[in-house]
Amino acid sequence: MLFSQLRSGMKKNSAILRNSFAMTVFSLLLLFIFLGGCKEKKPASGTALTFITWRPNQPEVWEEVYEIFERENPDITIVREVGPHSSTAFHDLLVQKLKNKSKVVDVFFMDVIWPSEFAAAGWAAPLSPYFSTAEKKDFLAGAILANTYKGEVFGVPLFIDNGMLYYRKDLLEKYRLKPPVTWDELVWQAEKIVAMETSTGEDIAGYSGQFKQYEGLVCNMLEFILGNGGQVIDPQTGKSALGQRPAVEAVQYVRDRIIGKIAPPGVLTYQEPESLDVFIQGKAVFHRNWPYAWEIANNPAKSRIAGKVGIAKLPHLQGGESHATLGGWQLGIGNYSEHKEAAWRLVSFLTSARIQKMFALKSGKAPTRGALYHDADVMRANPHFASLAEVFTTAYPRPRSPLYPAISNVLQRYFSEVISRHDSPVYEKALAANGEIDRLLALANQ
Amino acid sequence: MRKLTLLERERIFACSLISPCFLFVAVFAFYPIIYSFYLSLHRIIIGLPGLGEKFIWFQNYYELFHDPVARHALGNTLIFVFSSTFCELVFGLIIALVINRHFRGRGLVRAAVLIPWAIPTVIASQMWRFIFNDKYGLVNFVLFGNNVGEYQAWLADPFFAFLAVVVADVWKTSSFAALLILAGMQTIPEELYEAAQIDGANAWRRFTGITLPLIRPALLIALLFRTMDAFRVFDLVYVMTQGGPADSTNVLQYYGYKKMFAEGLMGYGSTLSMLAFLITLIIAMFYLGIIGKGLIRAGVQNETMRGKPGR
Amino acid sequence: MKKICFFITTATVVFLSLLPFFWFVSTSLKTELEVTAIPPILIPAGSLAFYRSSIERYDLLHFLKNSLIVAGSTTFLTVSLALLAGYALARLRIRWRGLIMGGLLAVSMFPQISISGPVWKILQAWGWLNTYQGLILPYVTLTLPLGVWIIAAFFQELPADLEDAAKIDGCGHFQTLFRIILPLAVPGVFTAAILIFIYAWNEFFFALLIMTQKGYQTLPVGIALFQGQYTLPWGEIAAASTIATLPLVFLVALFQKRIVRGLSAGAVKG
Repeated sequence: MLFSQLRSGMKKNSAILRNSFAMTVFSLLLLFIFLGGCKEKKPASGTALTFITWRPNQPEVWEEVYEIFERENPDITIVREVGPHSSTAFHDLLVQKLKNKSKVVDVFFMDVIWPSEFAAAGWAAPLSPYFSTAEKKDFLAGAILANTYKGEVFGVPLFIDNGMLYYRKDLLEKYRLKPPVTWDELVWQAEKIVAMETSTGEDIAGYSGQFKQYEGLVCNMLEFILGNGGQVIDPQTGKSALGQRPAVEAVQYVRDRIIGKIAPPGVLTYQEPESLDVFIQGKAVFHRNWPYAWEIANNPAKSRIAGKVGIAKLPHLQGGESHATLGGWQLGIGNYSEHKEAAWRLVSFLTSARIQKMFALKSGKAPTRGALYHDADVMRANPHFASLAEVFTTAYPRPRSPLYPAISNVLQRYFSEVISRHDSPVYEKALAANGEIDRLLALANQ
Repeated sequence: MRKLTLLERERIFACSLISPCFLFVAVFAFYPIIYSFYLSLHRIIIGLPGLGEKFIWFQNYYELFHDPVARHALGNTLIFVFSSTFCELVFGLIIALVINRHFRGRGLVRAAVLIPWAIPTVIASQMWRFIFNDKYGLVNFVLFGNNVGEYQAWLADPFFAFLAVVVADVWKTSSFAALLILAGMQTIPEELYEAAQIDGANAWRRFTGITLPLIRPALLIALLFRTMDAFRVFDLVYVMTQGGPADSTNVLQYYGYKKMFAEGLMGYGSTLSMLAFLITLIIAMFYLGIIGKGLIRAGVQNETMRGKPGR
Repeated sequence: MKKICFFITTATVVFLSLLPFFWFVSTSLKTELEVTAIPPILIPAGSLAFYRSSIERYDLLHFLKNSLIVAGSTTFLTVSLALLAGYALARLRIRWRGLIMGGLLAVSMFPQISISGPVWKILQAWGWLNTYQGLILPYVTLTLPLGVWIIAAFFQELPADLEDAAKIDGCGHFQTLFRIILPLAVPGVFTAAILIFIYAWNEFFFALLIMTQKGYQTLPVGIALFQGQYTLPWGEIAAASTIATLPLVFLVALFQKRIVRGLSAGAVKG
């Protein structure tokens, strides 16, 4: 009697336990069965190179380039990973992979301000085994310098960018004015043209640039500071120089003569697209932007002022010299990549004279090889490159430091705060920013 | 082996039902948050791996208390949470009242009201950025017509930029609050309203006397979820203003993101996110103190009603 | 008088909800030059160029497919798990019920930036970056609290003696769950399902981090990446957003009665 009770008891218990166990296993199985999820298959033969890039403005040109490469290198397939458009977001994505020592990063784009950071952190592979000194000479010196950290090169420049001054050729001609050389001239010209045009019912502003709180703000402000003979980092002491008179004056000039005066207050919300939109809708006389804007401004399908655009060096402040902020994109090789040789083949292909010429002709991208600026085809397709070549020799890189992103955030905060309020204490804020930047520089020098 | 009691069998059954949940949450939520706390006790600078990962106790937290930008971000976040949650509850209430009634075309109105919520936040943010544009934005056009000279640069002014972010958030999530409040409204029996009407109460009296008190639990749940979400606002700021102008829309989660991912200061960034988490936790516990008892009490009621011999 | 008041309120609510969206739709039907015209143009030219462009050049339908897969799987999985857990928490006698519910709620408070890093690391270790499951699993974790709470609250409203009636009829625990309780849960399930689906559909942060290959990217990420290095194609973004929102609008319009009924847990009062 007892035994049968026991047995039935056990059966009931084990039934419960069995059912519960089955339940749990079932639900977990559900999980795994349901998630069929296919993984990206690697090609059967040859090497697959992962190329981390952003979405290009003209994807067709890139498709052609990839095709040519894969045809000439049948043993390599390119796996593209497209990152976010903004330089900062692209940077964050790249860092996320590289700081976890990802082996699947073979070739990647670097903004001109990253090589120091990527080199110090050991993310970009040093390129001297592949990139000979003779070859380096073919490239623009400033671009190579931006890729150098502690004497070693970590990237190959592919595209170079510079801040340029765009202006309405037709309006300047109408009022018989020459492109301005100093900012005071520009302000005077802008005020005059705006006054004359608005009196006839036209609605137009003087100047459009990028003053939102982002990296582009640093580029725009740096051009004013450098154009006044100032610096962000004093090359002699290695410390922050924002509190020195030329730098403070330049910032005050922007706050008092540009924002809300010849430039609409909205420029404080503009990145490149919005500021360019204002210009190509015919609502600004002067405009500061990178060379890419030339093609768009002269395209009748996209611009109301096609054919009426002029391009020139940026003006400077009294007593200074014109300096543009150096921009551009370089190609780096992941330090944990297992296909460095193949990666170099892609890098040297993309930066070869042939392909750079293709980019210059078909998408208006400024090449980094000096010789191409004497190439007849290139100059015919992009007449504004003539002014560019001159600007490149005076283009100035932003501070090169492994902690540049942090430094840039301090600069962005300082600039944005100071130019958006008319009563801001510029000198005080500059000193505060100085302190923070010096602290960061000290960290990096340990 | 003795036979398992009804209670014990039920308990094992219940455990097996909850364990898959528990597995997910343990791996993908609890482990990461503990690891995040662990990180906040270290000094980690991604860009300078040579400095190593030093254990620095609570130095990051000390630095946080003295960081003016963090304090500003905290202030911004608090103001955002309170203003947007309040507006969302008010609008949610209005919307719920509207779609609670029976009328022709109710389905269409409901669908229309749910559209803002159905649009992905990043797309909605782009939309609002486009609408607040100072030259070709809709807001300016609606306010000033063709008079371009009067157009305002909303997102350039610290105050209006903040307001714009709040407007975008309220537009986006009022309907979610409305749904939760509607749930509460639907449980109110019609008879109560009829009785009140017979007694001579007008619409406003019926609203304040019957509706409001009876939807209190639903309101509080909506408040709870919305507060927790509002504290973690990120997408809107990321797309619309990126913290500017002059850090006026810098919120905790966005500041933490910049520190962690852009500047590579993992330790300090984790500290910021811990702060956001702690504050949310405190507020949630406060709310739960008010409504949680109700939920648990109902559960206890269930038990006592079914309490049978066999324990 | 009351009717007019009501009508005006309703009209205002609908108008405000739809205006920004209609503005975007109108933008999607403009020509390139009209999009950023100053002052803005109200009536578009009626050009479908942006739609064509967003589908052909920007691979919109592809992102749509990915979103459907991810959001659909997440919804199915979360609802299944939440049904089980919600039932257990609402109707079975367990100790620490409050702790478990509270713990789940706490998960909704975790800042995305805190958990994204370690989650990314885990997925990388398992080789699940750029796979569907790599995104679905974190989504399930993030939507479980909401799902469990809604379904538990719904279950609580069912009559207390259901289980006892079933037991008298000789049903075991599992039979009770599947044969009796589950069919009654359908309205609550609908509510939870639509909330979870929309959450998974809209989520951006984790999708951006985990899906870096175009082949797997979901709609929010895909549309955010429409932007080139310096270009902001408002027209294509507007067109893509319209297409992206349509499935949800359709779903909501179709199931809105059920959703609302599901929320009215009291409908099953005896």
